Amino acid sequence: MNNYLDLSIKEIHELLVKKEITPLDLVEECYTRIEKNSDLNCFITLNKSEALEYAKKLSEEPVEEENLLWGIPIAIKDNISTKNIRTTCASKMLENYVPIFDATVIEKIKAKKMIIIGKTNMDEFAMGSTSRTSYFGAPKNPIDKTKITGGSSGGSAACVAGTLVPLALGTDTGGSIRQPASYTGIVGMKPTYGRISRYGLIAFASSLDQIGPMTRNVYENALLLNELVGKDPKDLTSRKCEIEDFTRLIGQDIKGMKIAIPNYFVSNIVSDEIIKKLNHVVEILKNNGAEIEYIDMKYLDQAVTLYQIIAMGEASSNLARFDGVKFGYRSQDSHSVEDMYANTRSTGFGNEVKRRIMVGSYLLSGENAKIYYDKALMIRNAMKEEFDKVFQNYDFIFGPTTTTVAYSLDENLDDPRKSFMDDVLVIPVNMAGLPGLNISMGENENHMPIGLHIIGNYLEEAKMYQIASFLEEKLK
Amino acid sequence: MEKLTKEEVLHVAHLAKIKVEDCEIEKYQVELKQLLDDVDKIKEIEVENEELLVTPVEHETILRNDFNTRKVEFNELKKNVPVTNGNFVEVPVMVNE
Repeated sequence: MNNYLDLSIKEIHELLVKKEITPLDLVEECYTRIEKNSDLNCFITLNKSEALEYAKKLSEEPVEEENLLWGIPIAIKDNISTKNIRTTCASKMLENYVPIFDATVIEKIKAKKMIIIGKTNMDEFAMGSTSRTSYFGAPKNPIDKTKITGGSSGGSAACVAGTLVPLALGTDTGGSIRQPASYTGIVGMKPTYGRISRYGLIAFASSLDQIGPMTRNVYENALLLNELVGKDPKDLTSRKCEIEDFTRLIGQDIKGMKIAIPNYFVSNIVSDEIIKKLNHVVEILKNNGAEIEYIDMKYLDQAVTLYQIIAMGEASSNLARFDGVKFGYRSQDSHSVEDMYANTRSTGFGNEVKRRIMVGSYLLSGENAKIYYDKALMIRNAMKEEFDKVFQNYDFIFGPTTTTVAYSLDENLDDPRKSFMDDVLVIPVNMAGLPGLNISMGENENHMPIGLHIIGNYLEEAKMYQIASFLEEKLK
Repeated sequence: MEKLTKEEVLHVAHLAKIKVEDCEIEKYQVELKQLLDDVDKIKEIEVENEELLVTPVEHETILRNDFNTRKVEFNELKKNVPVTNGNFVEVPVMVNE
């Protein structure tokens, strides 16, 4: 068996250019690895015959030497619409839904001639922090198969960490890229809100959702981000930005950079083994000329409450479209339209989704919209202003990504609040629309990965990759 | 109060258009109460500026011109429709409910 997938993208590209391998070798190796590791349950749908056929076709074409991603396999989270490939959102509601169009990010991936291997497992409609709310069963953490992958982009994280596929797309509403990246020891970026078009992403909480790259290392993450960004007329929240190469600052010195660590991020909610790793990172940074200061920031401890109101409220509105009429699952045996709606939604959605929609509908109903939703948006504004203040004096905000390492698959199953608390350190970034990046700081004594969370100012992803890559090198 | 009343559960389920079976009511009485207690904490948070941040978008969001950008054939759309009748989407009776 070949082991091309253990090589870096650059090395693979060189072999492709030299014609020592073809995209078909890579795709075949992906499926061999996926089948060997089927117990990880990373994928809901494989795109095998189409991917093999496309790889064969590409193998007969000239290699695009300037395009490092040419012929490289990629996995896509199953809430991103892929034309003619089933897109389920890990829900019974969309079990048989086959989109008739591609999301904008998929068009971009296809334009670079990357090869879509399959659709990855996730929490149902991205609601959860463990991927256990999937209708198709939970994915397993490749580092320790008795542990959760995190979520909601758990399948994407697991297939990259398990080296089944070199690259994956995830989505992040309240930490769903960064938290599973932390639990599985990979690199996950949630870019600035609006960097990447959300057209074709099945919405959960529209003002928080963002697509992002999940990869084995920092350089490849930046490389993939290069191809995903851009203003899209189909998504008016997407931003018009200067074209830039996100890899351009990688390798540069970090001397003089100023980093703030909010005291809340190192408070007693975080386990000692994680604080210890963070302290080690702080030492490395100081020894290399960066300045670190511990600061107080208001509202960080309120982030979960804000998130619950905003995310559940927006979700209840976004998921109103699943009514059994035009697409998706419809419950039979209904004698009126009203019955059909209620029956379809009660059997099509899982428990976590139903709970969130019910609470969200309540929060937005009548006077409650003012009491809860408007108040949450006021604090959201105040939280953003706090971040703005910090970024006037600092280049980055650092902290751990999670409060503990990945826990057992059978732990905390009956607590509806746990899924929110798992994301306590990463939610504030979505509230403000800032970019956030997870890289691994190493592992605990049981080899479970521990993640570092790097928060950058708006549109400063390149600078985040610079410091992340520096640390990645030092922590090797 | 440790849990919601049965009527409260049925009220939120009605708002969300979700049917709740009798055997599920007790579970929701507890779980929804836990979440509603959490969100209630928002009332205690003090904030000086009353401005709302609805979205982190700061740029101007201009709608595109209102014209057809893509033509989709009904036969293509139909593939995902649960029940059709000829070129119609079929639903249960809507009148006399």
